[in-house]
Amino acid sequence: MAPPIYLDHAATTPVRSEVLEAMTPFFGARFGNPSSVHRFGRDARTALDEARSRVAACLHAQPDEIVFTSGGTEGDNLAIIGPWRMRRAQGRNAVVTSPTEHKAVLEVVHQIAREGGEERLLAVTADGVIDLRSLDGIVDEQVAVCSVMWINNEIGVVQDIPAIGARARAVGALMHTDAVQAFGKIPIDVTRLPVDLLCLSGHKIGAPKGIGAMYLRRGTPFEPLFHGGSQDRGRRPGTENVAFAVGLAVAAELQLVERERECARLGAMRDALQAAILARVPDAVIHGARVQRAPHILNLSVPGTDSESLLMALDLAGIAASGGSACQSGSVSPSHVLSAMGVSRGLAGAAVRLSVGMLSTDADIARVSDVFPALVEKARRLAGAA
Amino acid sequence: MPGRRVLVAMSGGVDSSVAAALLHEQGYEIIGATMKLFCHGEDLPDRPCCSLDSVNDARRVCQQLGVPHYVLNLESAFGRDVVQDFVDEYSRGRTPIPCVRCNTFTKFRDLARKAEALECDWIATGHYARAHDGDMYRGRDHAKDQTYFLWGVERHVVARLLLPVGAQTKAETRAIAHRLGLEVIAEKTESQDICFVPDGDHLKIIRRELGDDAPALQRGPFVLQDGTAVGEHDGYARFTVGQRKGVPGGFAAPMFVVAIEPETRSVVLGPRAALLGRGLVARGMRWMCAAPLGVGDRVSVQHRHRATPVAAEIVRIDGDEIELALDAPLSAITPGQSMVLYDGERLLGGGFIESGSSAPRRLSLPVLV
Repeated sequence: MAPPIYLDHAATTPVRSEVLEAMTPFFGARFGNPSSVHRFGRDARTALDEARSRVAACLHAQPDEIVFTSGGTEGDNLAIIGPWRMRRAQGRNAVVTSPTEHKAVLEVVHQIAREGGEERLLAVTADGVIDLRSLDGIVDEQVAVCSVMWINNEIGVVQDIPAIGARARAVGALMHTDAVQAFGKIPIDVTRLPVDLLCLSGHKIGAPKGIGAMYLRRGTPFEPLFHGGSQDRGRRPGTENVAFAVGLAVAAELQLVERERECARLGAMRDALQAAILARVPDAVIHGARVQRAPHILNLSVPGTDSESLLMALDLAGIAASGGSACQSGSVSPSHVLSAMGVSRGLAGAAVRLSVGMLSTDADIARVSDVFPALVEKARRLAGAA
Repeated sequence: MPGRRVLVAMSGGVDSSVAAALLHEQGYEIIGATMKLFCHGEDLPDRPCCSLDSVNDARRVCQQLGVPHYVLNLESAFGRDVVQDFVDEYSRGRTPIPCVRCNTFTKFRDLARKAEALECDWIATGHYARAHDGDMYRGRDHAKDQTYFLWGVERHVVARLLLPVGAQTKAETRAIAHRLGLEVIAEKTESQDICFVPDGDHLKIIRRELGDDAPALQRGPFVLQDGTAVGEHDGYARFTVGQRKGVPGGFAAPMFVVAIEPETRSVVLGPRAALLGRGLVARGMRWMCAAPLGVGDRVSVQHRHRATPVAAEIVRIDGDEIELALDAPLSAITPGQSMVLYDGERLLGGGFIESGSSAPRRLSLPVLV
């Protein structure tokens, strides 16, 4: 059998060799604790500070505006709960988000509601973009934080963060964006962006799982969620993961250097795959196709199929894809994102996400262009016969 | 010659793990699948049969065998076909048997569909039952036999079924698990209760689905068979035919629940003799054997899990309703439970018990068996 094809880069990516190489000394000779006073500590501290500066530079931020986290979920928790806890006392008890967010945001907002805060949801259109008119009456002086994901992780649609952020800040709300999928795809310059908090994750860009960063604009009210040390200015106590921070810095820089060319390459592959599938499965529904979409994500539903069976068949054929949001058990549930867009239960239950990335080649696309429609045709024959 | 690809339903327990491992050893191409039947909400503690740990155990066994493993999400079908029916049956004063409905409408039906989609030639499970040429037989270990729960599986599915542990005893299964290095799995405790019922308390599920004010959970009278009220109970869903626990005392002889009448929320009591029935009516009859039987045919009938079967004669068939005359009386023929028909070891079919009756056996033509 041919080697398996990985089309799930939106889920995670392998650690790049350059990243691994940069991290290696910190698992060996440069093992020090950055908080120690001695030379081992100083050496680690130097590396950590440099990593922080380099990550900051990737966002045009100041080094002290970068907080290292364990990844996207922790970043979203910190970036929403942290400011809300400070601002609820000032009469800003509401948190605004959209129903198509990652669970790391939605569940946080639900938790805030359980803790006495107010949850407000924006409206999304059938294409999955936020209906900017819905900001009226939702984003007001009671809002502590407004949180909107820049690129949706399931369907890849791009939200108008500059416009939403400007509206939020006009009424004194803080703006947070989950940029986990956006980093490396959209240029980010926080000096020009109406955003106060922004999160990214290492393992989506060739760094290891377990590292991420939160941008926290200077002067943003923030109450830490963890307590117990002065690391990261007390904003995120705990001995820093120096190796992974260094890895994140290298991966982030590589993403920016390669961004334009890689985005063009990924977009071309995604478009070729989409065209090939539509040519043989003309009634396939491409989610988010009518609006601006990230270059690496293709999310589609084929009427008369179900994602669970299709994903299994793809896997057995050596193609790794994913469905909606996978739960801990690994079972597939209909996507809350597609449901929020008004996609019917049947179509939402058929959704498959194919995401290209660093491992993808034209040969992969050619094979998937062939295998995917064949599997769909077989699934439909069976469904028709049943 | 049929192919060798088999979809194995794996619960994470010893039986299905050994089934997968045995088939793998025999050269089959294994695809493991664990069915997720309900969500692990906060009100449900980990269950031996459906918990996340079980999914992980099944996945680990597959990893050890070097075969793919998937989780099949059957939550909505299970909720609709099994849990909903479960509470409805209690509301109707009956005692449901959700495992049969799960096997009939959820598990095997979906497995067959997935097997089809994945071009599997066979379906395998860890049930203690045997399948040959489209017929199903009791498991060799009669103490573990599970055919009572399998009568609703369709014959075309049985024809594709591999049941490797059905030909051995539980002790042998455990020994094989050790031999194959499935140490963690080998000594897992068995699931006994209904998987989705926390702590064996079915009232919790009824309360959750129907609310605290469900009639089956309200006070009602205990009555004797002649209608005399003799006390009050806290909800007829707490009772099943044949039950003695929770029944008032003070009678000359021990009293048992002999019937439940939801219209008046009455729980009817009677002496042990009143539990005996010589006739049995069932609905939803399905035949698993190649040719359905008819009136006058002799069968062996089992009316409860682990009950000893008795000989009987089919005296009436109306659509999917069947009536049997029993050679010997059965105790506590309980509406909602399954009655399963056998010819010796071979499973003929089954249905859901509608009622028992003390009616004498209908006079019929001489039986030439």
